Amino acid sequence: MTSKYLLKYPTGVADSPVISKTVLKTGVMMNILRANVDYGEATLIVDILGDKEEQKKVVDYLRGEGVDVSKLEKNITNNVEKCVDCGACIALCPTEAISFKDDYSIKVNSDKCIRCGVCVEACPLRALEIVRA
Amino acid sequence: MMKTIKEINEKIKKGEAVIVRADEMPEIYEENPKRAAKEVDIVTTGTFGAMCSSGALLNFGHSDPPIKMQRIWLNNVEAYTGLAAVDAYLGATQLSEDRGFEYGGAHVIEDLVKGVEVNLKATAYRTDCYPRKEVETAITLDDMNQAWLLNPRNCYQKYNAAINSTNTLLQTYMGTLLPNFGNVNFSGTGEISPLNNDPNYETIGLGTRIFLCGAKGHVISEGTQHSPKTGFGTIFVQGDLKEMSPDFIAGATIPNYGTSLFVGIGIPIPILNEDVAKSTAVRNKDITVNLFDYGVPRRTRPVVREVNYEELFSGKVDINGKKVRTSSQSSMKVSHKIMETLGQWVEDKEFFLSKPIKNLPGDSEFRPLKVKEETKFVADIMIKKAITAYQKDSLKKVSEILVKNAIDQIPIVDSNNKLVGIVTTWDITKALAKGEKRISEIMTKRVITSRKDEPIDVVARRLDKNSIGSTPVVDEDNRVIGIITMADIIHRGVSK
Repeated sequence: MTSKYLLKYPTGVADSPVISKTVLKTGVMMNILRANVDYGEATLIVDILGDKEEQKKVVDYLRGEGVDVSKLEKNITNNVEKCVDCGACIALCPTEAISFKDDYSIKVNSDKCIRCGVCVEACPLRALEIVRA
Repeated sequence: MMKTIKEINEKIKKGEAVIVRADEMPEIYEENPKRAAKEVDIVTTGTFGAMCSSGALLNFGHSDPPIKMQRIWLNNVEAYTGLAAVDAYLGATQLSEDRGFEYGGAHVIEDLVKGVEVNLKATAYRTDCYPRKEVETAITLDDMNQAWLLNPRNCYQKYNAAINSTNTLLQTYMGTLLPNFGNVNFSGTGEISPLNNDPNYETIGLGTRIFLCGAKGHVISEGTQHSPKTGFGTIFVQGDLKEMSPDFIAGATIPNYGTSLFVGIGIPIPILNEDVAKSTAVRNKDITVNLFDYGVPRRTRPVVREVNYEELFSGKVDINGKKVRTSSQSSMKVSHKIMETLGQWVEDKEFFLSKPIKNLPGDSEFRPLKVKEETKFVADIMIKKAITAYQKDSLKKVSEILVKNAIDQIPIVDSNNKLVGIVTTWDITKALAKGEKRISEIMTKRVITSRKDEPIDVVARRLDKNSIGSTPVVDEDNRVIGIITMADIIHRGVSK
């Protein structure tokens, strides 16, 4: 079982090897999906590879280190009112989260989405949106 | 065996016309061509995609006192008014003056069809008959006298697919193209695309009644750039905006390119004889297009390979042994809905076929623009003696070269004159602040370069896009053979 989380580091934390420490301390693996690290602050999207209890262990540890943690339940939405099901987004998605159904409707798999936003920028109808964490 | 349009219309009246969709026809035809030609009366086709050469011809009526509208804006999108006093043509790709790529003529057209009120602003000079200088009001589609969709080039028979060989993301009229052959973008609906079902123009001509964005429209001519000889036919269409449905027309933003209008077109193909039946039996695998490399922004782009629509619709295309994912820019779902709706109209006796009063040309070709001024290339204006430094040079030495030559950046080469990086005066300042000493540590390794056979406009765009003032010119082996700067392009070239 895995779940996606958004990690925000406040000033100071980004300088320490907080991910490594968390993995070593908890023994739970993490897959970094996206990372935006800048001076003094960072935003990470990670998959925590563990059951509910293990995930909680990781979240608690990170929070103890001063990291702001929020679970990503829903990542992307497709506004069916606006969408014309052209498919311009499909091949752009790095995780293949968007596909055609049998009737050529667009299907968005929010679980696979890593919130990169490439499809949002490319959509001619402006029908896709990253859900705020 | 021959059927006439009149006979088919009689059958529609009696509720006896046999209607099939273009995707159903190949199987029916292959089973028994003669029977297919005899029994099928109408094949419905459909397409729904971005068609830039679209717009609306609008008549607003007169205000009191009247105005000879010289310039007009609808929701801040300017329309062309070089017509009579209150006529204007609103082009789909005209950008809004305040929202840029996010809103254009296409979006105004969509808003009008949806019944949304739009702001109309007009300015003018005074005349004896039209004394008013300006007017601003809010109007809906119903308030206008006439509002016609009038699209000079729609419904491309097929369209070449696009890929990007460069190492940077490109945003083109064919959509977003990922670097390093990352995706294939294509448009058109293949075997159900209207003009692929009558490529010899045996039934489609001036006056052919069609489904246009949910209304009954007409083909009024061949489209601009009509090129039936090469399989790239187009049509000029007209229809009443007031009868259209927002389900089949939509304003679109092609990111960092412009706005465009998604237009829905369905053409009923009357099966007059076996030849027409055969044309409507076309399959996706028989319709091929070139896959062009949009990394080369020239009129003639390199062809990566030929692809057919079956491969394009499969979701993956083989490029040099690698499976590259494809993205359609047209909607198959809405195109199918168009075929179904058109078929339903005929079944309900609401839509009858019209006999064209003139056939469309079947042998014309699309010619390029003659430009009197010769295209200038990088080789014509580049500085051939590029000042370079070696990777092993000291920071002090590189600084001295910069100062001596009054330049603010310098390509760094290895012992074979191959480009390995670039150093700017800012890099040197940073190095001093941080105490770094080696050129290889401070140089930018990913350098934007140019080739000597590229037109200077292409390089000008590259400089603009990357916010840089110059690029080294390299040969096939990445050896520095010159340098080209924006200043040179402006002073010695023709690019503005």
